[in-house]
Amino acid sequence: MLQLERNPKARTLVDAQIEAGGGRIVEIPGEADWREAAEQVRGAVQVDIRFASFKDGRGFSLAALLRERAGFTGKLRAVGDLIPDQALHLKRVGFDDVAPETTGLDADWARARARFTHAYQPAQDQRAPVFRHRQARPQDNLAALNARYRGMSAEEILRDAIENEWAGKIAVLSSFGAEAAVGLHMIAQIAPDTPVVFLDTGRLFAQTEQYQQALSEQLGLTNIRVLTPDSAEAAEEDHDDRLWQRDPDACCALRKVRPLDRAIGDYDALITGRKRFHGGERMALPVVERIDGRVRVNPLASWDAEAVNAYFKRFDLPRHPLSDMGYASIGCWPCTAPVQDDGDVRSGRWQGRDKTECGIHAPAQRIAAE
Amino acid sequence: MYKYDAYDHALVRERIDEFRDQVERRLDGRLTEDQFKPLRLMNGVYLQLHAYMLRVAIPYGTVNAPQLRTLAHIARKYDKGYGHFTTRTNIQYNWPALVDIPDILEDLAKVEMHAIQTSGNCIRNVTADPFAGAAADEIEDSRPWAEIIRQWSTFHPEFTFLPRKFKIAVNGATSDRAGIQVHDIGLQIVTNAAGETGFEVWVGGGQGRTPRLGQKIRDFLQPEDLLSYLTAILRVYNQHGRRDNLYKARIKILVEALGAGEFGRQTEEEWAEIRESELKLPAGEIARIRAFFGAPSVKNPQPVPTSGKPGFTGWLRRNRRDHKVEGLSSVVISLKPVGGTPGDITDDQLDIVADIAERYGFDEARATPDQNLVLPHVRNADLETVWDRLVEAGLATANAGLATDIVSCPGLDYCNLANARSIPIAQAISNLVDAEGLAEPVGDVTIKIDGCINACGHHHVAHIGVLGVDKRGEEFYQITLGGAFGTDASIGGIVGKGLAGDDVPGAVVRVLKTYLDIRDEDERFIDTLRRVGPDAFKESIYAAA
Repeated sequence: MLQLERNPKARTLVDAQIEAGGGRIVEIPGEADWREAAEQVRGAVQVDIRFASFKDGRGFSLAALLRERAGFTGKLRAVGDLIPDQALHLKRVGFDDVAPETTGLDADWARARARFTHAYQPAQDQRAPVFRHRQARPQDNLAALNARYRGMSAEEILRDAIENEWAGKIAVLSSFGAEAAVGLHMIAQIAPDTPVVFLDTGRLFAQTEQYQQALSEQLGLTNIRVLTPDSAEAAEEDHDDRLWQRDPDACCALRKVRPLDRAIGDYDALITGRKRFHGGERMALPVVERIDGRVRVNPLASWDAEAVNAYFKRFDLPRHPLSDMGYASIGCWPCTAPVQDDGDVRSGRWQGRDKTECGIHAPAQRIAAE
Repeated sequence: MYKYDAYDHALVRERIDEFRDQVERRLDGRLTEDQFKPLRLMNGVYLQLHAYMLRVAIPYGTVNAPQLRTLAHIARKYDKGYGHFTTRTNIQYNWPALVDIPDILEDLAKVEMHAIQTSGNCIRNVTADPFAGAAADEIEDSRPWAEIIRQWSTFHPEFTFLPRKFKIAVNGATSDRAGIQVHDIGLQIVTNAAGETGFEVWVGGGQGRTPRLGQKIRDFLQPEDLLSYLTAILRVYNQHGRRDNLYKARIKILVEALGAGEFGRQTEEEWAEIRESELKLPAGEIARIRAFFGAPSVKNPQPVPTSGKPGFTGWLRRNRRDHKVEGLSSVVISLKPVGGTPGDITDDQLDIVADIAERYGFDEARATPDQNLVLPHVRNADLETVWDRLVEAGLATANAGLATDIVSCPGLDYCNLANARSIPIAQAISNLVDAEGLAEPVGDVTIKIDGCINACGHHHVAHIGVLGVDKRGEEFYQITLGGAFGTDASIGGIVGKGLAGDDVPGAVVRVLKTYLDIRDEDERFIDTLRRVGPDAFKESIYAAA
C-alpha cells in the first residue's frame, strides 16, 4: 500500500484505530452515487473506493464529494486498476493511500506523487492554486508594497525583495554602466548568488565588458547571466551592422528587448538601477511597478547623483572607465556620447533623436503601437 | 498576449519530464500499451496510419512570431517541411519520430507552448473567436477567459479521466465565430440590464456521430463564478455521462437523455454548494490576466485603401475584416490555394507569417476553425505591404469565405479512423469551382469535408457538407445541406444516397449553379437554401450521377 501523504496525522490516527481492532472499513465502487455512498460511509474510519479501470474517472469525483460535501475525514484509499501517473490526481481529490492492482512500482508512484510543484486549480489537498499564490503575495498589491517600502532604505528594500517578497524568483538587470556598482554592491552584501542579467548587445564598449568582469569579481557576484541577441535574427535584420543607424528602435528590439523577453519568464521580478533624476519618463518612477505582468523593483528610484557619488566614495567602488571621460550613462557605443555641458545624465544616449529609452522597461504593447 | 510567469514555465517543464518518464516506462514495459495510450494522447501524440502524429496546442488560436518560428523549426527539423492547421485551431505534425517528441516539447516550452490535453478524454484546447480583441462587433475580448479556463483545466485532478473528450468555446462578439453551440460547453459573453458583462452558458453541443446543437442552461453568469459553474457542469457529466458505449459518452448524449432543463437543474444544485469556495476568481487575477490582452492603438489612423496593385483590392474585399480600432484592419491569410491541401503550411511560409506578424501585425496571428490564419491587427497603411509579402509567399489567395475556402479533415491519407479520403475531394472541388469561375459569383458559402463520421472537418455545420463513408470496401460520399457554424448554427441534413468520389465535385458545382439560378437579389447561399429548402437542390446533385 502506498501513501499519498495528504494528511499524515489523520492517517496515522486512523491506522492506530484499525490496528486496535476498532473502526469500520467500507468499500464502495467508484461509480457509486455519492449521496448513497455518503450514507454508507457514515461512521467508517476507512473508505476504499474501487476503480474498475484506470480510465474510469468517476472515483475522482466521488472522493472529492465525500470529502467536500459529506465531510468524510477518515482514511480514503483508492484500490483497483490504477497507474502511477494518477498519483497526484488521487492525492489532490482527497485520497490518503492507494493500493494498486499492479504492485512493485513504488518508485514510479513516489516520483509521480511529487511531479508537479504547483497546481492551477484548488482541490481537496489544501494546496493553494496558482492564482492564489499570485494574489497572495503583496507584489500584486503594488500600492501597498510601495507604501511599505516608502520608509525603507535601498538596502532594506533589496533585502526584503530578494529574501522575502520574490525569494528565488528575482534577478537584477544591470548594464554595468556608470552607476551600476551601487546596486550590485548592495546585492553582493545580501545574496551574491542573485542572478545578474547582463545584456551583451554585441555593440558594447570594450571598457564595459572589462568593467563587467572586474566588478563582478571584486564584488563576488557568482551568478552572472549574459544574454546575447539571437544570431540568426541578427544576421537577418542587421546584415550590414548599420541597423542602429537606420532604425535604432529595431536595433534595441533585436539586441536588448527580445533577448530579455526570452529570459524574463524565469523571474517574477527584476531589480533595476533606474533613478528619477535620470529625467524623462523616469521622473515619475515608482519603487515597485508592473510592466507586462512582471514586477520591476527600483530601490534606487529616489537617489540623486550626489547620493550615488557618496556611495562610490564610501565603499571605494571602482568607476566605469568611461565615467571619467564624461560618459554619465553608458549604453552601446554607436548610440552613446559623453554628456555635453549641463545636459541631463542620459542626454548622451541616442543623441539627436527623440528616443530616450531602449524599450526593455516599456510595455510590449506600447512599443508595438509605435 | 498572455506571457508565462514562473508558475506556468515550471508546470510545462515538469510536464516534459513526466512525458519523458512515461516514454521510458513504456519502452521498458512498466507501462502497457493500453496504459500508455491515454497518457500519450493527453500529450497530443497519436499513432496514425503511417507514423506518430503530434498535435501542438495553440491556446484559443493565438500565436506570436517566436512561436510561429518554432512551429516552422519543428516542421523543418522533425517533419517533412510542413504542418497542418486543424479546425480546433491546433497544428499537427504528421511525421515525427516518437523518440524526438520530448525534444520537440522542449523547443515548444521555450516559446511558451505545449501539447498538453490536445487529445484524450479530458478538457481540450479552448476555442475563441479568431478575431477576438479586434472585431468591430466585439462586446468583450474572450481570450482572457479562455486563458483562465486553460489554466484551470490543465491537469485537473478530478476531470482528467472523463467519459469522453470535452471542448469549451468562448465567444465575445455579437456574431458567433467560436461555435458555442457545437461545443460541449459554449460561453457567450453578454451584457445584463445593469451593464455588466457575464456569460450565457450553453451545454451539450457537439458534432461527430450524433450531431447536436447546444442548449442554453443559464442566461447570465457572473464572471467571478466561471470556474465554480464549469466545475459543477463537469461534475454532473463525470458522474453521470455514459461510459458503457464510446459513441454515447459525450455530454450531448447526457444532456439529451436528461433534458437540458434537468441537466441545468442538477448543475445549479451542485453549483449552489461550491459557488462560495476557493473557486471564486479573485478580481486581481482576472485583472492580471486581462492586462495581457490590451488593444493596440495607432497614431495617425489611415483609412482602408481603395486602390492599389491589381489583385490587392480584390484581396481586401474578400480577406479584410473591420477592426474596432480606427486605422486598423484584420486580415485572413487563406491556407486554401486553389487545389491545395486545406490547412497545410510550409516551414518557410510559417517563418514569413512570423516576420509579417512581427513587423506589421503587433506580433500576433491567429489560427481559425476554418483552417486559415488571421492577422488580427494590421495598420491600414501597411495593408498593401502585407499583401505584397503574402503574394511572394503564396499566401495571398483572395478566397476567404468562398467556395474554394474548403475545410477538410486529414482523411484516409493520414488518419486511422477514416473511412474515405477527404483531401483529394477538397482539392477536386476547389479545382472545378475555380475552373468554372464560380467562386466570386457565388460569394459566401461554406464547404466542409469529412473522411468519417467523427466529423473533425465539421461537415455537419457546413452549408454544403461532404461525408466519406465506406460501403463494402468502396468509398462513397454523402452530401449534406443546410448546416451552419456559429451564428444561427444548424446541423445539415443528408440529401440522399451517396455518390462516388469522382461525382462529388460536379454535384457541388451544380448545387452552386442552382443557387445562382434561384437566388433572390443579394441573397446569400445559406439564406436561399433556408428559404427554398434542400429539395430544390436535390435534383441538381443527382442530375448526372
